[in-house]
Amino acid sequence: MSKEIAISAHGLGKRYMRRAAGSRSDSLRDALKNGFKSVLSGGASGTQETFWALKDASFEIARGENVGIIGLNGAGKSTLLKVLSRITTPTTGSARISGRMGALLEVGTGFHGELTGRENTFLYGAILGMSRAEVARKFDAIVDFAEIGEFIDMPVKRYSSGMYVRLAFAVAAHLDPDILLLDEVLAVGDFMFQRKCMNFAADLEKKGATILFVSHNMFSIKSMCERVIYLKRGQVVYDGPTDVGLKMYEDDSRLTVSSWFHDESPKPSMTITDAQLLDESGKETGVIDYGQRLTVRIHYKTFRPIEQPDFRLGINRSDEIHCSTYSSYADGVNIPMIDGEGMLELRTAPMTLVSELYTANISVREKGYGRTVCAQVAGHFHLRHPVFASNAFGVYHESGEWRLETAVPKILAAG
Amino acid sequence: MSELSIPHNASEPGPSAEPRKVPVVDIVPRRGLLDLDLGSVWRYRELLVVLIMRDIQVLYKQAALGAAWAVIQPLFAVAVFTVIFGHFAKMPSDGIPYPVFAFAAVLPWTYFSEAVRRSATGLVNDSELVRKVYFPRLLVPLSNVVTPLVDFTIAFAILVLMMLWFGVPLSLRMLAIIPLITVAMMLALAVSLWLGPVNVRFRDIKHTLPFVLQIWMYASPIVYPLSMVPAQWKLLYSLNPMVGVIEGFRWAVFNRGAPDFGATAVSAAIILVLLFGGLVFFKRMERSFADMI
Repeated sequence: MSKEIAISAHGLGKRYMRRAAGSRSDSLRDALKNGFKSVLSGGASGTQETFWALKDASFEIARGENVGIIGLNGAGKSTLLKVLSRITTPTTGSARISGRMGALLEVGTGFHGELTGRENTFLYGAILGMSRAEVARKFDAIVDFAEIGEFIDMPVKRYSSGMYVRLAFAVAAHLDPDILLLDEVLAVGDFMFQRKCMNFAADLEKKGATILFVSHNMFSIKSMCERVIYLKRGQVVYDGPTDVGLKMYEDDSRLTVSSWFHDESPKPSMTITDAQLLDESGKETGVIDYGQRLTVRIHYKTFRPIEQPDFRLGINRSDEIHCSTYSSYADGVNIPMIDGEGMLELRTAPMTLVSELYTANISVREKGYGRTVCAQVAGHFHLRHPVFASNAFGVYHESGEWRLETAVPKILAAG
Repeated sequence: MSELSIPHNASEPGPSAEPRKVPVVDIVPRRGLLDLDLGSVWRYRELLVVLIMRDIQVLYKQAALGAAWAVIQPLFAVAVFTVIFGHFAKMPSDGIPYPVFAFAAVLPWTYFSEAVRRSATGLVNDSELVRKVYFPRLLVPLSNVVTPLVDFTIAFAILVLMMLWFGVPLSLRMLAIIPLITVAMMLALAVSLWLGPVNVRFRDIKHTLPFVLQIWMYASPIVYPLSMVPAQWKLLYSLNPMVGVIEGFRWAVFNRGAPDFGATAVSAAIILVLLFGGLVFFKRMERSFADMI
């Protein structure tokens, strides 16, 4: 053993029953009809369709390693964390966890509205696996971290959502685990608090903790993890350096439905069949230089006539900051109706964003500002600014005019 | 797996670092049928205490009358019983004033039915916790059979006051109530180990439970004395473990009759079988709670 292994997984698999929405038979009578066997097997009868949320996942994670878990929605990321945190048992395979583990699948699970902040701190601490003595010892530090002050003795149902999350996270941050499983929890709270959370993760890292981190936020994955495990339909398709894994993920996520979009109509109205990002020379590219125009070609297909569509292109930075939106409607382009297949080309203004990784999202709304009928990821591109090489310099950069006046003090000149 | 990128900050603890016992957890699809893993309950005993404290705090914070409910509920039942069964039906009460006679039985029964109701539905009530956090699921029924003991203790004080009022002498025999309520607790736990997991899958249990408890109540010597049960039915009747508990209570309070050791042994055996079977069933079902809840 040259290195200590914190987590080792061998062929982990998790099978779920697929139930059509609304058809779930919750009635005991139905089950008794199907025989008592179905109760024993957890409601599974032979006719139900099953699917593998996680399949044959094997990996080893060394102590002190930070690993990001990436994948599209429903790829099995959360299932993997649930299995590793023992919330649910795997159907196949096995895993070994060496070290004190803390799992944060959601901040504030188990908080009770009627109880005060103080009572909830002890409750939540115990839920996360801390002893009463440990919480008591860290209590002042927790209240301090949460910036909650005298509200600590007030029922948490009177807290603002920000206070609630801050207190919950403060408790979790003082857990001091050897292994930490995080599921998107850093994506809560305001900007200042997110910074605090990132610092907390960095501190844990310094202490040599192992962090397993699920996120859609490519920026936090990039800044926290040297290695990623990429899950696709429940299977590990890549396990290695972050850059390579993210590239694979980005290529795969092209044209996928945006995570925020839930089509409420029974049938899809339209779809983006292809999208190309072109630079000024007309070449398909993943890199745009600062000041260059980006051209996006949107190929679409409608399944019914769409009246007055508003095509939009949203540009999101890798840390999910929405930087800008182009809208055909706002730009005064009048499209009375689209029906069938077609292509729309957008040429942006010269790009003034700083060097970063960006995602271009296409969405279409019906009748100007009406209902969204389609939202898909067009692709990803890097922007290259000659000087401002990170988002530490802000969202965008524009040149200003400078004028310098110098007056050399006489004393110095003489002296 | 050989080309894992190991970060440079994976600092190995130096030789000076004190050797620390690293807990190791193995995650496997299923354990043996009889592997009840009761050790995990012990390791999580602090959480058990915290969950009990939470339930007690919430119980008394949410109700405007707070602890008064612990008294009102059984007193109201006794008042109804006294009017209907004691007055109109002229139910015999072995020569004891009917209100105390009924209260001595309503007391353990109220505890028992509340414990079953709480712990059979506890997993669903705490579904958020079950879905998002790991802890031994046994803590849920365990904590829920303990919480109503607070109500029981308050109501017990009322019983003592009633005994003084009706001139029933107090005695050391009343200490027998402690093992008796423990038996009721074991029975409540055993029943909810069976019902709890079924309620996770089929929410019908929540609606069925009040009827079942109602029938169970009338199948127990609460509004009438055991002496009213025909002799040929006695054996079948005493298969109900609550009979032993309630008669035990009356014996401890009024010193009437002697505890029926035969019936007590049968009750104990039934409870043990139910409890053990319930544990096996619960552990078997526990694996899928988070997926179904």
